[in-house]
Amino acid sequence: MTTTSPPLTASAWLVGVREAIPLLGGYIPIAISFGLVAVQAGFTTWEAVAISTLIYAGASQFVFVGMAAAGAPLWLVVGMTLLINLRHVVYAPNLAAHMSSSRWWPALMHGLTDQVFALALTRLPQLPSEQRLGWYSGAALLAWFAWIAGTAAGAIGGEWVVQRWPLLGEVMPFALPALFLVLVAPRMSNFRWACATIVTVLAGLALALGGIANAGIPLAALTGALCFYTVKHAPTRRRCA
Amino acid sequence: MSMELWLAVAATTVGTLLMRMLPLIWMRKRLSRSSAEAGVDTLPQWLSVLGPLMIAAVLGVSLAPSQNTLAGWTATLLGVLATLITWRRTRSLGWPVAVGVAAYGATLLLSGL
Repeated sequence: MTTTSPPLTASAWLVGVREAIPLLGGYIPIAISFGLVAVQAGFTTWEAVAISTLIYAGASQFVFVGMAAAGAPLWLVVGMTLLINLRHVVYAPNLAAHMSSSRWWPALMHGLTDQVFALALTRLPQLPSEQRLGWYSGAALLAWFAWIAGTAAGAIGGEWVVQRWPLLGEVMPFALPALFLVLVAPRMSNFRWACATIVTVLAGLALALGGIANAGIPLAALTGALCFYTVKHAPTRRRCA
Repeated sequence: MSMELWLAVAATTVGTLLMRMLPLIWMRKRLSRSSAEAGVDTLPQWLSVLGPLMIAAVLGVSLAPSQNTLAGWTATLLGVLATLITWRRTRSLGWPVAVGVAAYGATLLLSGL
């Protein structure tokens, strides 16, 4: 499981499954939390699992059940959930050049979450083209099933798990930023990208601390993009004689 | 769950899927057109910039400690450092995440949460 180009010995599908395993450290605790929150908001276990299976979009699911349980108008519930998911619009075009002409690709975009996109953006270009569909299917399906299983576990026994091992609930979610860090780090290969990435990370952190985590994601990315274009057009400083 | 709520789930499901799927179909058409014209850079630059930066933004948001305490910030900082150092040494995906989580957890444990 390297970020360079390892020779693939197992089938592409299994390699995808194996490489998506680090995602589970972040997925499962959050999915368990969602299952727990959904049941506490009055949804049944099956309804929570159905939401995770169908919508499958992390943070926005918390907003969906929270607003629905609070009695918000359903058009507003749908609108807010879709607004949070709007960032997904830029993911698939970034991967399109690395995809074959298979008709399966559009349907498989159901599994294109933040984490799967980050992993695929790094790994797809490194794989032989005939292995990419298998690799992506394995990685995306593992992540999807883990999300569904985690939701079910949270809805059934989440409260018991959190009470028994409180530290586990605190520690495991760090797997997600750790994984993102590993996926973002290789992109900081030149000054321009390093500036834009660091500004984006700091802006995202500041916005999250300010209580605007969801809207903070596109806002932070736009701040980083502004930095990216500013660095490009910045005038070169004249040397003092 | 009422029928209205099921409809809301269905609308959100379809909307989210379309947001993930339609840009791919658009981009594939763009790619097939440009390959016919040969040599044109097909991905708009703003998209190739925003894609990776969205991930950096999710990283920034997810770095905010769940507990805004000295222990929470110290654990986050040490977890980040451990992850980066392990990544520089191994250039792999799995080990840096495991070491980062272990460093984060050990700091929280030693600080008594």
